[in-house]
Amino acid sequence: MTAGVKYRRVSGDAVEYEVFARKTRVEPLHQVGSVVAPDDDLAAAYARATYDEERWIEMTIVRKDHVISLWSPGES
Amino acid sequence: MSELSGLVLSIADNKQLLGLRYAEWATRAPSLEADIAAAAMGLDDLGHSRVLYGCLEPLGDDPRRADRETDPASLSALPYFDQPWASWAQFVAANAILDTAFTVMIEACVNGSVEVLQHRLRKMLTEERYHFLHGRSWLRSGIEKGPLDEAWREAIEWFGPPDGDTDALHNEGALSMGPAELRARLEERLETQAPGLELNWKTWDPKRRRTRPGAIDERTFGMLRGLEEKRFAPAGTTKA
Repeated sequence: MTAGVKYRRVSGDAVEYEVFARKTRVEPLHQVGSVVAPDDDLAAAYARATYDEERWIEMTIVRKDHVISLWSPGES
Repeated sequence: MSELSGLVLSIADNKQLLGLRYAEWATRAPSLEADIAAAAMGLDDLGHSRVLYGCLEPLGDDPRRADRETDPASLSALPYFDQPWASWAQFVAANAILDTAFTVMIEACVNGSVEVLQHRLRKMLTEERYHFLHGRSWLRSGIEKGPLDEAWREAIEWFGPPDGDTDALHNEGALSMGPAELRARLEERLETQAPGLELNWKTWDPKRRRTRPGAIDERTFGMLRGLEEKRFAPAGTTKA
């Protein structure tokens, strides 16, 4: 999926969510992918359906537009 | 057939058909994510049906008879699943209302007094959380009234009449909720009231938990029985 992609659904704009997960308590959460959805509920359902192939002990989602970027590749 | 075994068989048959109908939309939903969710929810519900069928023997009274091999009307599934869904609205209404109705009944089993159901069905509630989020979100986006009203009607009929089997199972403790509580719980979860419905319990079939006659389509029944495999076998390799 392209960052910042938006499309219209009946209920409003769909936005991109980043999906994070980990398999053991000792490892940190890491990004496993992303989903596009119009609200948090649907994003949670989509993330679980799309990335549930592995035995994660934890999975979280974050709206991409809520992430505050300090710098990007080539900007440091 | 004990009332509890008949109810568990009905949950199993409905979840099997719900899973199949979900899966039929795995390449037809409005987005790739919704396609994947349809496939995943289909797998979940087919898996749940297997667990539920597996509860029948420990319950001590497996109500499945030989006619299930030949008569599609012997299955205890709702009219909503008789034919493949023709619209996304039908998918959403089933996802939001019927799937949640089955979950509410599973809650009543898990919180009831029957040990095998308490233990084996609990994990389903975790998985169903995502079906609920999916259905509720799409429901909020707005769908046609027809499939919604039909799903509500069939859900409330499926819970059973006011003085019927689920009421008796509630009174004896096997279920933590009776028909009135099941309906109230469904409305609470969906944050909405059921539409005004005139229910005719005179035509309600207690075995199939529905008021309308009918059965699943021939192709789906053939696929469930493995008969559809013959269509794909090389010529001359199938037995009559």
